[in-house]
Amino acid sequence: MHISEGVLSPAILTGGAALTVIGVGIGLKSIDYEEIPYMGILTAGFFVASLIHIPIGPASVHLVLNGMLGLILGWKAFPAILVGLALQALLFQFGGITTLGINTLNMAFPAVICYYLFGWGVKKNSGRLVFIITAFAAGCCAVLFAGILVGLSLYLNGDAFLPAAKLLVAAHLPVMLIEGILTATCALFLRKVKPDILEGYYV
Amino acid sequence: MFNCCRYLNKTGACRQRFVLLFFLIIFVILFDIPAFAHKVSIFAWVEGDTVYTQSKFSRGKRAKNSSVIVFDSDGNKLLEGKTDENGEFSFKIPKKTALKVVLKASMGHMAEWTIPVEEINLEAVSNNSKPESDIKDSYETSSKSQSINSGSDLSALSESHGISRQEIKRLIDESLDRKLSTIMNMLADSYGGGPSLTEIIGGIGYIFGLVGVAMYFTSRRKRNNDSGS
Repeated sequence: MHISEGVLSPAILTGGAALTVIGVGIGLKSIDYEEIPYMGILTAGFFVASLIHIPIGPASVHLVLNGMLGLILGWKAFPAILVGLALQALLFQFGGITTLGINTLNMAFPAVICYYLFGWGVKKNSGRLVFIITAFAAGCCAVLFAGILVGLSLYLNGDAFLPAAKLLVAAHLPVMLIEGILTATCALFLRKVKPDILEGYYV
Repeated sequence: MFNCCRYLNKTGACRQRFVLLFFLIIFVILFDIPAFAHKVSIFAWVEGDTVYTQSKFSRGKRAKNSSVIVFDSDGNKLLEGKTDENGEFSFKIPKKTALKVVLKASMGHMAEWTIPVEEINLEAVSNNSKPESDIKDSYETSSKSQSINSGSDLSALSESHGISRQEIKRLIDESLDRKLSTIMNMLADSYGGGPSLTEIIGGIGYIFGLVGVAMYFTSRRKRNNDSGS
């Protein structure tokens, strides 16, 4: 998911960075004092998730967890993912500093989309089946959309869209499945332990 | 800074400004550090007249079937190839220049490695263009002439010494390359591995530190608001 430095042209990098700044701005605007610890814990989760490699498929892929962040944080997933990616770039050499903007956009925007698409189902008083299905779909689709967005970034750079996107989505199929299950499990756990997280802290 | 906070607080945007300011500071710090990041890595080394490369993703998974492009120091493309099942690719040095080896793996991953011009053995490259038998012949004839005219012909002797010195250098280079190849392979294996525990724990520490700072500033603002109202 992390696009390396030197792959994309400066125009795409600046475009991605500009959109990320807007997203981060919207996210920061809605931060409340009580939410900062959640954001921190989720950012730490996102930061470490990329180290969990899934040894299936043609390329080296790892967990992303952007669906879970989107579901709980909404627009605040933007600043959380930005911090996570910045630290990954700095400490792990995943992605890069110049590609930070476009990488954040590629991972955080699907998170926000999934929040709007499936957030309604992940509430404490929704039915158990609906709850599980929407949480699973959020975890799954966030990775799918991220793959499509990365394919789109490479396409804007001059690569053919369909092969790149196909490869990305195919490589991330196992990750999608695992993340769906993981997101559903975590959401169920939160519903039992601290249902307020799923409830009040929305944009 | 706190005065500034109080001042901004009057405008009612202290918290957001501070969080923004904080991210700005992080950005400034980050951009100061030279960008060397990559998620795939390529390691290239010279052995005689051949350059060997090994490519892999972090955590040691080899980058199979990825294209490797070689540029000279002026950025002209010299040659291109694909890595094999082990993520390896080798090529003969096309000319004496610094080489930039660029790896393009799938999904927007890219890495590069530069071989400085000093590492490229000019004699190995020029020998490469010269047929092997030619060198052997000259070596044999020179040693023959040495045994026949031992000591009597000075000019022939010095000539034969010159050639044999060259020959010795070549032999030493060859055996050194052979001996060092295991070390080079070890280096290639250790290069570009996954992040260590220190970095992981450090990163989590950074995040918790950020949480602390963000909470400090928002709590200040909250307290100011409470005392104000």
